[in-house]
Amino acid sequence: MTSVGLEHYIVVSAVLFCLGLLGVVIRRNLIVMYMSLELMLNAATLALVAFSHFQPPTPNGSPFDGQIMVFFIITVAAAEVAVGLALIVALYRKRQTIDVADLTSMKL
Amino acid sequence: MNLTLISLEIGVALLGVLVLLAGLWTPPNRQHLLGFCTALGLTIVLALLVKQGVAVDPITDSSGGFVLDGLAVFFKALFLLAGILVTLLTMGFSNRLRTAGAEVYALNCFALCGMLFAASANSFVMLFVSIELITITFYVLTSLQSHRLRSLEAGVKYLILGAAASAIMVFGIALIYGSAHTLQFNFIANGLAAGHMKQLLLFQLGALLLLAGLAFKIAAVPFQVWAPDVYQGAPTPVTAFLAIGSKAAGFVLLLRVLYTAFQVQPDGPRLLEPAALLSLMAAATILFGSLCALRQRNLKRLLGYASIASAGYALLGIVALNERGAAAVLVYLAGYLFAIVAAFTVISILTPDDEDEDLSILAELHQRSPMMAVTLTLAVASLAGIPPLAGFIGKFLLLRAVIEPTATFPWLVSVALLGVVASLYYYFGIIREIFWGTGQWWTEKKPESARIKLADSQVVVLLICLLGMLVLGLYPQPLLELATDAVQVLKLAN
Repeated sequence: MTSVGLEHYIVVSAVLFCLGLLGVVIRRNLIVMYMSLELMLNAATLALVAFSHFQPPTPNGSPFDGQIMVFFIITVAAAEVAVGLALIVALYRKRQTIDVADLTSMKL
Repeated sequence: MNLTLISLEIGVALLGVLVLLAGLWTPPNRQHLLGFCTALGLTIVLALLVKQGVAVDPITDSSGGFVLDGLAVFFKALFLLAGILVTLLTMGFSNRLRTAGAEVYALNCFALCGMLFAASANSFVMLFVSIELITITFYVLTSLQSHRLRSLEAGVKYLILGAAASAIMVFGIALIYGSAHTLQFNFIANGLAAGHMKQLLLFQLGALLLLAGLAFKIAAVPFQVWAPDVYQGAPTPVTAFLAIGSKAAGFVLLLRVLYTAFQVQPDGPRLLEPAALLSLMAAATILFGSLCALRQRNLKRLLGYASIASAGYALLGIVALNERGAAAVLVYLAGYLFAIVAAFTVISILTPDDEDEDLSILAELHQRSPMMAVTLTLAVASLAGIPPLAGFIGKFLLLRAVIEPTATFPWLVSVALLGVVASLYYYFGIIREIFWGTGQWWTEKKPESARIKLADSQVVVLLICLLGMLVLGLYPQPLLELATDAVQVLKLAN
C-alpha cells in the first residue's frame, strides 16, 4: 500500500479547480456560480497546504509561508462572500431573478 | 514589523474609519462636510509623503514583503492625488447616491489604502491581500446606487468576474509557491537566478495564471469583458476611480512581478516568453478597445472602451522590457489621471439624475459652461494624444520605447498607430458634440441651454485637472526625471 504523496494532493486540487471553473462557465444561476468560485479558492488552499507540508528545507523563507497564505485566503473569501451575497440579494429584490441570462440592461 | 513604515496606509485606513464614525453624528444636510474633511485628510497624507520623500536605499520590513522605494513612492503619490480628486468629485455627486453619505468617502479611503499597499507589495501575500482590498471595496462602490438596476447589475457582473479572476490568480500563486518554495519576490528571483527551480512547467503555468489575474485588473484582452458594463453602470465618481486607481494598481503590480520576481530581461533566462505574450495582448487590447469605441453613443461606455485601449498602450511600455518603457508607463499613467478624472467630472455634472449618458447631453456645452467645455475638450485631446498635452508625452514615450533601441515588434507599432487614428475619430466625435452638437435630433427637442452653476468642489477638480494636463504637457521634464528615478529599483537595462 502506497502512502498519500504530494502528487495526490495536487491532482485533487487541480480537479477541484477545473470543476469550479467549469461550474462558473456553464451554470447560469448566480448562487451556484458563486459556490463554484469558492471551490476554486479551496482548490488553491489545498494546493498551498500540500506544497507547504511537503516542502524540502530551503534557505529562503519559512516553511510555513504557504500555510500563512491560506489564512489570508480564508479571510478574504469570507469578506468576498459577505459582500457578494448581499449584492445578489439586492439584485434579487429588484428583479426577482438570479439568472445571469436576465442581466441585460446594458447592451453593446 | 516597523510600524512607521506603513504610517501612511494606517493614516488612510484610520481616516476611513473616522469618517464612517463621524457620519453617524452628522445631520444629512451637513454630509458634504465629511467629503471636505476626507479630502483635507488625504491632502495631509500626501503632504507627509512628499515631505518624507524617497529614501536613498529601498527600505523593506523584516519579512521583506513590504518595500518602500522610489517606485512605491511615485505610485503612492499618484494614488493619493487620484483619491483626493475623486473625493472632491464625489462631494458634488453625493445627493444622487441616496445613501447616508459617509460610506462612499470611507470606502474610497479603504480602496485607496489597498492601492497604497499594492504600490509597496513585494511578496505574493501582500499582492493578493492588497488586490482583494481594492476589488472587494469596488464591488460595494460599484453597486452603491442600489435604486438603479444598472448599478446593481454592474456590481454583480464585476463580482462574479472579479472573484473568478482572483481565484485563478490565487491558484497561480499556489503553483508558483510549489515550484519556488517561497512567496517573496526577491527570494523567487534568487531561486531563478541560481537555477534552483526544479518544476519549470509548474512555475510557468503558475506565472501564466497569475498574469491572467493581473490582466483582469488592467482590463486587457481577453480579460476585458467586465470593463464596459462596469464603467457604464457604476456611479460616475466610482468609474473615475476605477479607471485610474484600480488600473494603475494593476500596472505597478505587473511591473514588480515581472521585473523583481520573475527577473524578465531581454537577455535573461528564457523561462517565459512574456514579451511575445504581452505584445499579442497589447495589440489585441488596443484594437478591441479602439474598434468597439467607434460606434458608442453612451459616454461612459465609450470611455470604458477607450480605457481598454489605453491599457493596451501602457502595455507597450512593458513589452519593451527596458527602463525607458517602464518610465513611459509611469508618465502615461500620470497624464491619464488628470485627463480621465476631468472627463468623468464633466460627465457626472452633466448627466441628469438616473438618465442615460448619451452623447447628446454635451450639446451646447460651450454656451452652458465654457469652463467645462474647455476642460472636456482638452481632456479628450489629451486622451487622444494631441500635443502639447500630457497624454501626448506619455503615448510618444511608450511608442519610442518599443522602437528604440531595437524594434523587436515592428508590427506592434503599426497596430498602435492604427489605434491612435481610430481614437482620433471617436474622441473628436465628443468634441464635435460639444461645439456643434444638435442635442437629441431624433426627438426634435431643443437642447438644454440654461447655464450650469458649478459647485466649488467641482471647480477645484476641474482646475487641478486642467493645470495638470497643461503643465505636464508643456513642461514634462520634472515628471520624466521622477519616473526615470522611480524605475531604477527595477534594475532594468537602459
